[in-house]
Order: sequence, then structure tokens, then C-alpha cells
Amino acid sequence: MATQKIPAKRMKREEYRRNVQAQQESTDAVIKMPQKKFFRQRAHANPFSDHRLEYPLSPAHMDWSSHYPAFVDPDTSKTNLSGGRKLTKEVEVVDIGCGFGGLMVGLAPVLPDTLMVGMEIRTSVLEYLSSRIHALRSQQQRLKNKAANPSSTEPQDASTQPEGTESTAPAPSNDDEIGTEKIFPGNFENITAIRSNTMKFLPNFFGHHQLSKIFICFPDPHFKARKHKARIVSESLNSEYAYVLRPGGLLYTITDVEEYHHWVLRHFLHGEQPEGAAPAPSSKDLFERVSEEELALDPCVRVMKYETEESKKVTRNKGNKYVAVFRRKADPEWPA
Amino acid sequence: MAGLQHPFQCLRYVNRQSAGQSDILIATAGRDLYSYDASSGQRLDVWPQPVDANAEDKSSDAAPASESQAPPEKRRKLSSTSEEQKDAKSESKPKDSNKEASNSWTNIPLVTVAHGKYVVIMTSEDKCVRVLSLDNEGKLQQLSARTMPKKLSALTLTPDENNILTGDKFGDVYTFQLIPSGEYVKVQAPAKSYEPSATNLTVHTKRNLESLEQQMRQAALSKTNQAERVVLNFEHQLIIGHVSLLTELISVTRPADNTAGKRNYILTADRDEHIRVSRGVPQAHVIEQFCFGHTSFVSSLCVPSFEPKVLISGGGDNYLLVWDWLENQILQKVQLPGSEGETTVRGIWDVSLAPTADNAEPVKAIFVALEGSSQLLCYTLESDNTITHHHTLQLSGNVLELVGIDSRGSILVAVDTLRQSDSTSAWKSSSQPPLESFRLSSGKWIPADDSMVIKINSEGTSSLPTAIEQKEQKELNDSMYNLGNLRKRGDYDE
Repeated sequence: MATQKIPAKRMKREEYRRNVQAQQESTDAVIKMPQKKFFRQRAHANPFSDHRLEYPLSPAHMDWSSHYPAFVDPDTSKTNLSGGRKLTKEVEVVDIGCGFGGLMVGLAPVLPDTLMVGMEIRTSVLEYLSSRIHALRSQQQRLKNKAANPSSTEPQDASTQPEGTESTAPAPSNDDEIGTEKIFPGNFENITAIRSNTMKFLPNFFGHHQLSKIFICFPDPHFKARKHKARIVSESLNSEYAYVLRPGGLLYTITDVEEYHHWVLRHFLHGEQPEGAAPAPSSKDLFERVSEEELALDPCVRVMKYETEESKKVTRNKGNKYVAVFRRKADPEWPA
Repeated sequence: MAGLQHPFQCLRYVNRQSAGQSDILIATAGRDLYSYDASSGQRLDVWPQPVDANAEDKSSDAAPASESQAPPEKRRKLSSTSEEQKDAKSESKPKDSNKEASNSWTNIPLVTVAHGKYVVIMTSEDKCVRVLSLDNEGKLQQLSARTMPKKLSALTLTPDENNILTGDKFGDVYTFQLIPSGEYVKVQAPAKSYEPSATNLTVHTKRNLESLEQQMRQAALSKTNQAERVVLNFEHQLIIGHVSLLTELISVTRPADNTAGKRNYILTADRDEHIRVSRGVPQAHVIEQFCFGHTSFVSSLCVPSFEPKVLISGGGDNYLLVWDWLENQILQKVQLPGSEGETTVRGIWDVSLAPTADNAEPVKAIFVALEGSSQLLCYTLESDNTITHHHTLQLSGNVLELVGIDSRGSILVAVDTLRQSDSTSAWKSSSQPPLESFRLSSGKWIPADDSMVIKINSEGTSSLPTAIEQKEQKELNDSMYNLGNLRKRGDYDE
């Protein structure tokens, strides 16, 4: 296939992505929102294969400084084990399988002081999200500058573009460009995206009890029973989520597949036991379900239900959404 | 000693002096399990019994060899025979089980000993965990055979030695009883007809909808045709899982200190450079720590019995790491001979010897063997919990396995009898003795004249057929030297 001539669609796609790249590298150009259609990728990835993944040797080696430039510690002497600058705070929210990043973008203004990262195994999708975050940040910056000096044009763009044509974002032509006209708290400086296979390498990024929230939104349902072992929720993976999640921290799940919802419940909660029998010890001991009343007050649940890309699609198709949130309990006492 | 003989793959020393009995050496070679009197070297038993009942030890070349000529019956899936086998076992008819058990594997890569009177082995091709009793006379008799869903890469016991712990190629750790108690009644899930979990609310594309429709039709057709696969047909628990190939599993007890009481841990290692520290059973789902520092797969973990705070680990890196494993703290990085990407650690063994006339101090030795190397690296653990390289022993063949014998102040080393020194593929024309013995003399390990070893070597192990095909040679090589396959290759799919 590689020797054949490149299909027109792919040519277009590659050209578009090169332009996006160039745009990001130049400092004065106005950065447009990336268009999703050029970044589509097959919805599945094999979590068991090696891929060409980059991951830090340990959480202490992870260099976050390029991901959160606004949160880099001004003290240049503070570096991590790989020599990168430290941040003023730790990353504490993770979206596992963030896809096109609807949750990250939706949550950024809700938790403006919390560092959040979306993790995704598919390269194209990740590239889209990174461009999107980059574009959002620069747009926020421009809007802010404009707000600060309403009389003058933007200092950066003034020489190249008269105000009102390019710089005030063009009329939204698609979904991706809507809704960013307004200044948001946090300026999207608190979100980023990383390519990773969390089923293998989550503990390489985050230390013991580092996280306060984990989101698992519309995970790949792996319908066939033979593929169930590839599901992102399992008792053994839940042990790892418990390792990185601090006691009191929350793990959010949402799916449109009823069977998967029951799978989630079954793997986080003890089922009914025959009378008198104590449930076998397992990672289920480390989680409890959060009540509906509590969830009604949680803005993260609203974002998860209505603002992720997948949830919009489910809404369009009039599908069901099943939410389950679990709280990390404290570790049990050591047996005497 | 004409012809080629299988090398010893596993060695275990069973100390039974406290029980007033003589010590026993357990060894595996080829498809056989041997027991020896550890003082005389007298062979006490071979399991499974050679088919020819009259066969004396000396004529061992005839019977087992002819068996191993037949290609091994490789069983990937759990067949109904394994179930029958199991049932037969539980009625404890040892003779039948011995016969049945023949011919379905070519080697026994994992062995452990419980309470000094049970030998637990995994036979490779049939993925079967077999528990054998070891009686006062050293006779071996199979008590149970339990088939695992995947081939195991590690086999050990819980600290109380009442439960078996297994780690498999799929990353899962199971625990089950050494001696199955009572009949296992499988909790039968109520027969439920198959129903696709996708609905027209969750799939939308034309193609997906078509296949969903097809599934519905299929479900309606085959309501009863749900042949359930027999997996793990005995009482067991899945306690730990890595999404990776599990390479090693050890069980460690830290004695009580001023901060905490006595605590059990399970340490697991995988192909993705991880070393995981979990609590012991029944809290193995609580992960306490990860030890980060390897950049290639980890294949060997050693927590010395004389210093349970320390872990020495090695694998595909050309260095060892010495850890304070509970704190994820690297105490020392020990360079190994050879270049990155080629050196692979085959084994790390700790040996402690009580003071003797020769050595006033107790010995805290660490031995390291590299895959396909005839050299044995000797270290000692210092009081600051670092290790110092003392010297390197040259052996007559590649080092395969090592065991320390405290009562004699010596070590036994199993060397490869088939392949030429420092090669994992080129064969020798005739076998050398499978065991070598060393003792410590004024700080150096020197060859020991051990009548036991001479006796064991003189009897040898089972012979290979005189004419062996290239393909079979390769299979034997691959089963003995398989750590290289763990290395990640460059060709990834996206």
C-alpha cells in the first residue's frame, strides 16, 4: 500500500496538519482551531502491544514544564530527576482515554487552579487535542489583551493584521470553533494531553495517592467476550487506580452501553453475598459508590454528561448515559 | 557417559534435619523430576516413573529417551481430558496418574518445595501445576494436577507454605491451596442466553448495525449451544494483575521492627520494566510501591533471606539494581559485563553459610548468572546493603541454576550439558557432567571434591536420542533460553 500513490484524502490531511504545525511554530500568526475531520482515527487501539510510546522512567522523572508553562516554578534551581523545571503544583486530575478532549476543555474553567491531563493512546487524536489546547490558550491570550487595551489593537498582531478581519476569530464555521469567544478562568493553561497506554504505564506518570480525580468516559466497550480482558475497568486495574488515587479521591465513569455499566458496577462493588459469607478480599474493598444526591451537586458530572465529544454524539443519537462514581476509601489496616 | 544428556534445569535443597531425616536434593532435567539423598548422592526416585518398570537407574537412557522422541503434545486450550485427569487425581490413584501424566510435556521449568514434604512443579506444555508428596525415603507421588489458563513464568508459596502463588504470561497472579480441601463445586452462573451488549442505541454505522443484526439472529439460533470453557476448575483467587507479561514473583516477609509488626509482601516484575510491591495475601490488591529504575524487562528478583529489606533485581539491562524496595530507593547500580541490549540476567541467588573452620564470619553471598554465559559472578552483601564483586568463576558450561547447601558450606551449580559454553544454540558433541560444586576457602570459592556430586554426575540424567533433528534442537534451545524474547523489538504497530 505504501508504494501506491497516496490517496487524495490523506494528501489533504497531511497538508493540513503541516500547516497547523507551522502555524504553531510561528509566533505572530493567529492560531486557528484545528478541524477534527483531519484527525480522525480508528476508534480502537490494542492495549497489549508495545506501540512506540514515550513514558518517564518514574513520576519523579516526568517533565511537565512544557505542558503547563504557566505553572512552572519561577525558581530555576528546582528541577526533577530528568533535569526539567518543576511546577508550582502537582497534576491531580486524569482523563483516561480523553479522545478529542471535550472533557478536558469543559473542565478547564470549572477547576481553573487544578492541573489536569488527558491521556490517549491514538496519535492523531492526541495531535488534534494538543493543537486545540494550543489554539485555545493563544486565543484566550488575545482576548485578554484586547480586553486590557480596548482602544488599541493587539500588540502582537497590530502590524500584520488590521483588527476585525482575522484576529477576532472568524465566524464559527463548525462545532470546534464555537463557544470560545469569551474569556474563561484559567485560560486553558491548566490542561494538557499526553500519549500513553495507561493500562501499562499509569504508575510511571503519577505517584502514590497523587490524584484527586480520575475520569473514564465512554471507554471502548470491547463488545466481544473474548475482548473483555482489554477493558479499561477490571479488578486488577482498579488496584492501580487505587494506588494513584488519594483516599477520598473520586473515580468517574460514564458509558452508553448498559452491559458495560453493569460490568463497571460489578468490578468496583461487592455483589450480594450468600448469607453469612464475607466477600472475598479484592480491590472492591478500596472503593464505595457515591450517592446520586452528591453527584447532582458535582459540576464535573454535568461536564462529563453533556460536554464530552462522545456524550454529545450519544445525545444526538438519543442514547442512554449511565454514570457511576466511586470514592477511594482508605487502605485497610494491615492484618495483625 | 556416551551421548548427550539433559542438563538440570531446577535445583532445590530440602533441609529435613530438624525433622530428624536426611536432606534431599530435588532436581529437574528434561521431563523428569529427581530426588537424591543429599549426603550420598544416591538417586532416590524419578518421576514420572519410566514406562519400562524393570528399568534400573543405570539403564535410564532407554526408556525416557524414547518417550521424548515423540513430539510433545501441545495443548493450548483446556481440554476435557485435563478435567478427567483432575478427577482421577482427586481419587488419589497415584499409579494411574503417573501413567496418564506421561508424554505431555518436555520440561519442568518451575519447582518449589513446601513444608519439606511436598514438591510443587509446573510441567511446561500442559501448563499444569502438580503437587507431589516427598516421603521419608524420597519417593515422589503425585497428589494433584491443576491446569492453569496460561503458561506460568513464576511459582512460589505464601509465607505459611499452605498456598501456592503463580504468575503467568498474561500478567495475572493466582493463589490456591497447596492441598485442595474438599470437592470444588463450581458456582454455576444461571444459564443465560447470549445477548449482544451492543444495541442500536450504541452502534450507528451501517456496517455495525448489520453485524448487530447478525448477532441477534445468531443468538436466537444458538440459545443452548453455549459450550462454556473450563478454566481453572478448582478453587482459586486472582489477586494481582499486570497488563504485561509477568516474569517473576516472590513472596517476602519483613520481620517486625520498631515501626511495624511482621508484614508479608508480594513482589512482581514484568516485561514493561516494572517491579511492583503489593501486600501479601489477603490484601494483595493493595499496591504499596513501584520500584522504578530498569529500562528493559526485569527477569530476576532476589530478596536475600539474610537481609529482607534489600532487593537485587536484574533483567535486560546490563546492570543490576540494589534497592531498599519498600521505599523505591536505589541503593546501588552494579555494572555487568557486556553491552546494553545484549546482557540478560538469568538468575540471582542468595546463599548464606554459617561460620565454619575455614571462614570465621558468616557468609552473605550473592551469585549472578547471565543468560548463555559460562561465568558465575560472585558478590557479597556488605553491611551498608551494597554488594561487592569478589571474583568470577569459570564453569564447564553455561550456568543454569544454583543452590546453596548451608550444612556443607558449599554451592551446587547446574551447567548446560548440551550447548557449548557461551552459546545458546551451538551444541556439544558429548555431554559434560551436569553439576559442579564449590566451597568457600579463605574468601574465595574453589571447586570442591564432593562425593555426592560425583555420584549424581556418574549416574547422569536422561539421555537424548542419538540422532536429533535441527528443529528439535531449536525447540530445546528455545525452552532453555527464552529470556531474549522479552526484549522489545523496534517494529511496533501504531
